[in-house]
Amino acid sequence: MSAPENAAQAGTPAPTGAPPEKKPPAPSAVGDLLKGSDIQVGGKYIGWSVREDIRKAGGSGGLVTAVLAGALEKGLVEHVLALKKSSQYEAVSVLTSDVEDVYASVGSMHMLVSNPGKHLRQFQNDASIALVVKPCDMRGIREQQKRNVIDPDRIFTIGLNCGGTMMPYKMRRVTEEVYGVDPNDVRAEEIEKGKLILETADGQHHAQSIEVLEEDNNGRRENCRYCIVKIATNSDLACGNWGVMPDYSGKATFVEVMTEKGAEFLRNAIDGGYAEAKMASEPAEEARSKVNGVMLKMSAKTKEQIIVPLHSQTFEAFKKELVNCINCGACKTVCPPCACGTEAKCTAFDDPADGYDISLFHMVRFLHLMDSCVSCGQCTDVCPADIPLANLYRKFADPLQEELNYVTGMDDRTPPFFEIKLEEMN
Amino acid sequence: MSEVKETAASSCASSGEFIPKIVMFCCNWCSYAGADGAGIARFQQPTNVRVIRVMCSSRVDPIHIYTAFLEGADAVLVTGCHIGDCHYVNANDKTLVKYKFIKDMLNEMGLEDDRLMLRWISAAEGQQFAEFVAEMVEKVTALGPSPLRKEGVV
Repeated sequence: MSAPENAAQAGTPAPTGAPPEKKPPAPSAVGDLLKGSDIQVGGKYIGWSVREDIRKAGGSGGLVTAVLAGALEKGLVEHVLALKKSSQYEAVSVLTSDVEDVYASVGSMHMLVSNPGKHLRQFQNDASIALVVKPCDMRGIREQQKRNVIDPDRIFTIGLNCGGTMMPYKMRRVTEEVYGVDPNDVRAEEIEKGKLILETADGQHHAQSIEVLEEDNNGRRENCRYCIVKIATNSDLACGNWGVMPDYSGKATFVEVMTEKGAEFLRNAIDGGYAEAKMASEPAEEARSKVNGVMLKMSAKTKEQIIVPLHSQTFEAFKKELVNCINCGACKTVCPPCACGTEAKCTAFDDPADGYDISLFHMVRFLHLMDSCVSCGQCTDVCPADIPLANLYRKFADPLQEELNYVTGMDDRTPPFFEIKLEEMN
Repeated sequence: MSEVKETAASSCASSGEFIPKIVMFCCNWCSYAGADGAGIARFQQPTNVRVIRVMCSSRVDPIHIYTAFLEGADAVLVTGCHIGDCHYVNANDKTLVKYKFIKDMLNEMGLEDDRLMLRWISAAEGQQFAEFVAEMVEKVTALGPSPLRKEGVV
């Protein structure tokens, strides 16, 4: 939506006749439009929706919407877990079989913290569901799959590149104070080149540098600033606008096919006439991994500032962090990898009447999350007592996950806690 | 429970010095028999240890260890059969994994390293049992009361 004015029209090849004095920008895509049978696992493509209105409304070409709509209409999935927008800052997850709901959900929403993995669990195993996830959501879903809560065969996931999300209530204030725009006028938003661009109803673009916003603690959530997975390579299709060169900027999506299922869904969208795609060019691939590299470097720096000092915290200081806990259990309710359900060890043996310095609830959760924390930060978001829970969980999880070389939710490796197998005795 | 606490409190208050309370989990097949052996052979050992018999060291859940600490134990010892000798094939391998997690967690939290210990003690190792207990009591006495101990618990 925030495409430069001189960008090529969607669907046309890259401009070849660029001014001679300037090096022409590398094309995003090479070759002709692909047929469904050309889609392979591991392939990287540039795709967009065939519908003009979806391309316009979508963050970058509406490919994700097209794939979801195609899957729903052709019967590959029974339902889609989509976000129903009420404003740019608010949305509710809806489980829908109506393709119009899918089309209505088009567009990016960085100023919203969704938790699709948690909704998924309520419907799981009743129907096949397609959903769009951030990398951390997908990591949570994978961890639940490993604990036999979610059936991987019944879900189809489209992962989105994620540089970070922002708290809605904070961003409303920022929109008003920093951008000088009425939050109710904001119709769309996009993050490009480190800037958060808001589009108002009158079609005007307002941009602010995220780095500047973050100096006042107004930008991305703390967790996103030290997140280590920015491209959802653990989902079926990894989509995003990183790697889309200026010729397609804002008009196409870079997609990497991660699984056979992902290939099937993308083929379906292309053959069914929902989307078009071309092979991604090499410079596009490089640009994508470059953006990823930059983001990861920033994350590592923030981690150094936030998590590393926690390791040398004294016991007394640590105890103080939890003093305000009111035992509401919200952190467990939202936790994406938590697979225990309502009958969980952390709650079953916890009794506030015990009056322990640190409740058994927290002790057990610190232990359980050592090998499953996905660093999503939902716990901090929901905590009514403002306890920086996500940082505390990371304090315990980081050393162990590093030592065991285990990145949560990125592959099918058995969680270290369950890794013992019965071996033949020699 | 409260009776036990009272006796412990009075014994501590009268002398005024710190007497550590240690909870020890012994597996039914090796370590408990080892403790028995220590008694039969009359090896001298301190009386600070409260032995809890479990069927297998892997039965010791994190909950048990945490509760012990939160209820006022100054140290928790877990003992079981040597690796390969487990009555339940490979259950003490699972103990090892669990122990690693709990140990890492408690250390990260700020608890001293010696407060939680795992030791393999077979049925024949009565002497090792007595020595282990003596060694741990000495270490924990030097460390002082556990920071996890509830206020008011002596």
